[in-house]
Amino acid sequence: MSGAALALEGIDKVYNPGSARPVQAVRGLNMRVDQGEIVALLGSSGCGKTSTLRMIAGFEEVTAGTIRLQGTEVQSLPPARRNVAMAFEGYSLYPPLTVRENIAFALKSAKLSRDDTQRRVDEIAHLLEIEDILDRYPSSISGGQQQRASLGRALVRDAALHLLDEPMGQLEPQLRALLRGRIKHHIKERGMTAILVTHDQAEANALADRIAVMEDGELQQFASPAALKDRPANLFTGTFIGEPPMNVFTAEVRSAEGRLNLRLGGDVELDYAATAFDETVYLNLLERGRVSIGVRPHAVQLVPEGLPASVTVNQWLGDQSHIAADFAGGSLVAVEHRRAAVHPGERIAIAFAPEDLHFFDVESGVAVSHGGRSA
Amino acid sequence: MAAIELLDIVKRFKNETVLDEVTLKVDEGETLVLFGPSGAGKTVLLRVIAGVIEPDGGDVRLNGEDMSDVPPELRNIGMAFQNFALFPHMDAFDNIASPLAARRNTAERVREGVERVARLLKIDHVLGHRPRALSNGQKQRTALARALAAAPSLLLLDDPLRNVDAKLRFEMRLELPRLLAAERASTLYVTQDYKEAMALGDRIAVMFGGRIAQVGSPEEIYLSPASLEIARLFGDPTVNVLDVVPEEDAQGPFVRLSKLRAPIDPGLGHAVGRPCSLGLRPEAIRFVESGAHGAIPVTIEAETPLNEKAVTLVTTARGREILVSRPSGEPGPTEGTAHIAVDSAHALLFDRDTGLRIAPYRSDTDVRGAAA
Repeated sequence: MSGAALALEGIDKVYNPGSARPVQAVRGLNMRVDQGEIVALLGSSGCGKTSTLRMIAGFEEVTAGTIRLQGTEVQSLPPARRNVAMAFEGYSLYPPLTVRENIAFALKSAKLSRDDTQRRVDEIAHLLEIEDILDRYPSSISGGQQQRASLGRALVRDAALHLLDEPMGQLEPQLRALLRGRIKHHIKERGMTAILVTHDQAEANALADRIAVMEDGELQQFASPAALKDRPANLFTGTFIGEPPMNVFTAEVRSAEGRLNLRLGGDVELDYAATAFDETVYLNLLERGRVSIGVRPHAVQLVPEGLPASVTVNQWLGDQSHIAADFAGGSLVAVEHRRAAVHPGERIAIAFAPEDLHFFDVESGVAVSHGGRSA
Repeated sequence: MAAIELLDIVKRFKNETVLDEVTLKVDEGETLVLFGPSGAGKTVLLRVIAGVIEPDGGDVRLNGEDMSDVPPELRNIGMAFQNFALFPHMDAFDNIASPLAARRNTAERVREGVERVARLLKIDHVLGHRPRALSNGQKQRTALARALAAAPSLLLLDDPLRNVDAKLRFEMRLELPRLLAAERASTLYVTQDYKEAMALGDRIAVMFGGRIAQVGSPEEIYLSPASLEIARLFGDPTVNVLDVVPEEDAQGPFVRLSKLRAPIDPGLGHAVGRPCSLGLRPEAIRFVESGAHGAIPVTIEAETPLNEKAVTLVTTARGREILVSRPSGEPGPTEGTAHIAVDSAHALLFDRDTGLRIAPYRSDTDVRGAAA
């Protein structure tokens, strides 16, 4: 079946409606998740991501709106009738069953032969590195192992939709990258549709085809990790996505003889040929006069000659150097994919390529342009 | 003279030895990071230095002075912890002032001291707020300010960034070195985050099970880890580990990777014939054309981007899983089959039984140059 695996239309969630203190957790949420897609709901605590997941699962009623699973309205159905596989915090393993029995139990409705069930349990246990605890009971394994067992119970199923709540939060860092790769491969190979909720953008970026960035109950942007990085819809997503976060400056815009001049603090001026920008962007910027400029740390270039900056710290992390510098009356962060040989106190020269500049409205934070093209 | 000198510190709780003959020195003005998994004994060691836990054996010397008879309040140490530990009934000013006030300074000097560190930590605008009105970041800065307020010559910081969000943690990681340098304090900094350890430490002491496993500069720890266990704790994604048995021919020692001869450091002749683990950093592996020298065919399993890096999980014909990492701007395959090449000459070699690193033998003394 093609088309949307899941469609959320006009979803509102209000807790304690009619009380003195109603709380609007989710507001007017519209979202379509395609068949075979991995989508991450990303945001800080209280942004509405977990409420959204719980409404899709059926643990929470919608205040308004429609939830369609493969075309069928499900918002009034109980969780068990939605054909959704879940790995939730607090949706715990059955204590009287071993890990193996817990995972096998999830396959019960699939009516597989005993051998097939066994094979599928072993496969998923191998994938999640829990083979050695299959015959243990949930109470006798660590929190991280419980999390993996619970993930196994969800991933072993063939369901219309897989819902994963902070699936790897407690994982040992040494296993994280490997398991992310294996889980993504597993989901993609089987054409499963999955939604994961996380506050960890590294996890969202690693696993998701598209990320829904939420804040204060509202969807800020719903796009691929690359698009979120290259074309943030506003200053919120621009500075929220990306580690280290985007550098942001305020600039006065001026033009002179076919050039665009951007005056930052501390008498620092960026100067570009007007042709580096689309004409509409160029005119738009001039008309504004003032604008917020975002530059990602990875896009800051250390050059032989350029704008003056003074290094405050250079931290080498093994495969990257993080450099902070005093710049334009404020500070700036640059990242190099190598070991940069600069030292605190050193004067350096930096440059920004016009294609790496993101412009935002000073007041609203709404994106004006990315890399010289209209947003 | 060392700021902190620990000699054979032993601490037992019931039958468990939590500190097992710990010997460690923090030089004056240095930031030494104490890094290790939880339960390694880091916090207990900090408390022994502070004087709140008495060791069962060994000596603690601070600025050359033996501390065995010196109570905690006279050790002139500033401390901050991961759980902030602020007094809830006092505002930020009084919290920061508490160690100064305890020393019977004049009100004027207390105010000056508090305002100085508050400005440094950018919390001068919230000094009148009580802890519950402060954000986590402000609480954490208040706790740090309290540790700094009395201008102690020694600072003990126990995972102070643990409970703050990623953005603030990053910001503080960049700010702290400047702050500590301005205070000229000798600092012992506890963390479980390897990036924090590498970013902040002049040197890093790696601790496991109550023992110091290695002490060295960030580059020594990252490029020449003493054991596989240490290598696995530094780096994201984690180092790839392959079982190998080094062989030797006329051209020198080598290992076999997917049947191909991969040369290893010429100084590793003494590892020939020993079962070993080969440690390959994900960033030391690259995608190459099929005809390239030493190209190993692989299948792409999944690509999982990580902080401006493209991390790819690949499997070899024999089903070995390998993580490859490259800057995300660099092109690379995303599905199907591909070829990788490894920089085996700079790979890390560990004894498979003991997990200890087998260092290349050098006729001269410079063993760092090859890896850098």
